[in-house]
Amino acid sequence: MLGSIVAGVICSFLGVFVVSQRVVFLGAALTQAAIAGVAFSFLHLLNLEQLLANLFGVQSINDSFLHHFEHTFFSLLFAVIAVLIFSQSYKQKFLTTDGLLGLMFVVAIALRIIFIQKSPIAEVAEIESILKGDILFIGSQEFYTLSVILTIVLTIFYLFKKQLKFVTFDADTAAAHGINDRLWLLIFYLTVGIGISLTTRFVGDVFTFAFLIIPASISIMLAKKVANVFLYSILIGAIIPPLAIYFAFELDVSSGPTAVVAVFILFLIFFLFKKIKK
Amino acid sequence: MKLTNNQEETIVKFTNVSIGYGRNVILKNINLSIERNDFIGIVGPNGSGKTTFLKTLLGNIKPLAGNIRKDNLVFGYVPQRDVVQPLLPYSVHDVVMMGRYSLLGTFKSPKKEDEEIVNDSLKRVGIADLTLMNYNSLSGGQRQRVLIARALAVKPDILILDEPTNGLDTPSHYSVLNLVSELQEKSHLTVLIVSHLLTDVANLVKKLILFEAGNYQFGLIEDALSEESLAKTYSTNIEIKKIDGKYLITSKH
Repeated sequence: MLGSIVAGVICSFLGVFVVSQRVVFLGAALTQAAIAGVAFSFLHLLNLEQLLANLFGVQSINDSFLHHFEHTFFSLLFAVIAVLIFSQSYKQKFLTTDGLLGLMFVVAIALRIIFIQKSPIAEVAEIESILKGDILFIGSQEFYTLSVILTIVLTIFYLFKKQLKFVTFDADTAAAHGINDRLWLLIFYLTVGIGISLTTRFVGDVFTFAFLIIPASISIMLAKKVANVFLYSILIGAIIPPLAIYFAFELDVSSGPTAVVAVFILFLIFFLFKKIKK
Repeated sequence: MKLTNNQEETIVKFTNVSIGYGRNVILKNINLSIERNDFIGIVGPNGSGKTTFLKTLLGNIKPLAGNIRKDNLVFGYVPQRDVVQPLLPYSVHDVVMMGRYSLLGTFKSPKKEDEEIVNDSLKRVGIADLTLMNYNSLSGGQRQRVLIARALAVKPDILILDEPTNGLDTPSHYSVLNLVSELQEKSHLTVLIVSHLLTDVANLVKKLILFEAGNYQFGLIEDALSEESLAKTYSTNIEIKKIDGKYLITSKH
């Protein structure tokens, strides 16, 4: 339950930037890149877990952190690579942001399929279910990892709020006024990439993508101050997932999709309310 | 050390500068000086190098050759209004405060002094009463004033405006031009203004940089502005009339 709240808060906080920067498709591309990373880890080309276990002198199979290290590491690595590729589209005339994101999205899906087919272990369906994650099965290990990610994301955005605010608002003028727009935008997208990849790893792509877009879209629609946009978005991200888990139990359906439908219904209510009010 | 030339104080000096991107040289051998308190118009057809020149001057891109001397100047930049279309409901105060960000330390928050400078900048552009308003809810002319206030909040030596009247209705158009003229005169600011509206520029500025494909002209407005030079720049016949001391520049049909 607590894990679902933390996952919802990470996505809904980062979502404000993703939606307001008009790079919603970055969320889709990064979630797929993260999943391709997890799928890659099933190839076991590098036995990082054993390497670390030897380094720390522990049995990897008995250590829950090490046991899932490869999945998390490759999910993060693939998302970071995707961000670095995406950053190449900045101020390029021959490469549009949309085009590059679409390219990354389909290539990530194709890689995922190939990696799963070539995996030496387990059934395809079993791997697919691990890749999809579930807010219902967030254990204490995942909860702590998500909490650390949330702390890191909030700290970065708090410490560098001036620079990140300026470059995401108007990168050209920030650069003209001596702020390194390229560097700060890279830091911004890397932070978004880290947050998205690890959330995807634990709660799946559908939940992550939906909670990146929908709470932020609702809050942008309602709030009249920037601080309130974040507040509303985080509140929605925190409240809907535990409610969805409750209703998923009651209705005997999957909790992730229930959370997505629930937040969409909320969006619909506010959208219609706003439309009628206008 | 500042450069001096004919009693004027040179604050920027281009010496044999080539501008462009990578291997694509847009303009070679630019030699010009900008004096303190200059009021310069930058005109030319699309793709002639106006934006590349500005970016090179601002330091956003490096010159491909030559040297630019600019003595640690502070630039206040006013971008084209339509590139700033935030989805987030930033207030006018938020936007103008961004002008102070580059001058604060990485981890430092704005202080009382920064607040005062922001308020003063808003007063100078005549929108002190809009400080709590949502930037998105403003008219085009008001938004342009906010962006000018943000550039003033940097306390610039040189104010650079990129097409400040683009898309404005007629009253806002002239109101923004009057504001720029007032700022230049009263605050003794050095101002560079890019515009595709030749008549506006000719009636506003004292000097002109006229960019054309692979070439440029620079000089006092009465020297640089001629039907021949404009015809060459724009590849069409252009008529320059002077009515009550004001230029009227039109295309000959």
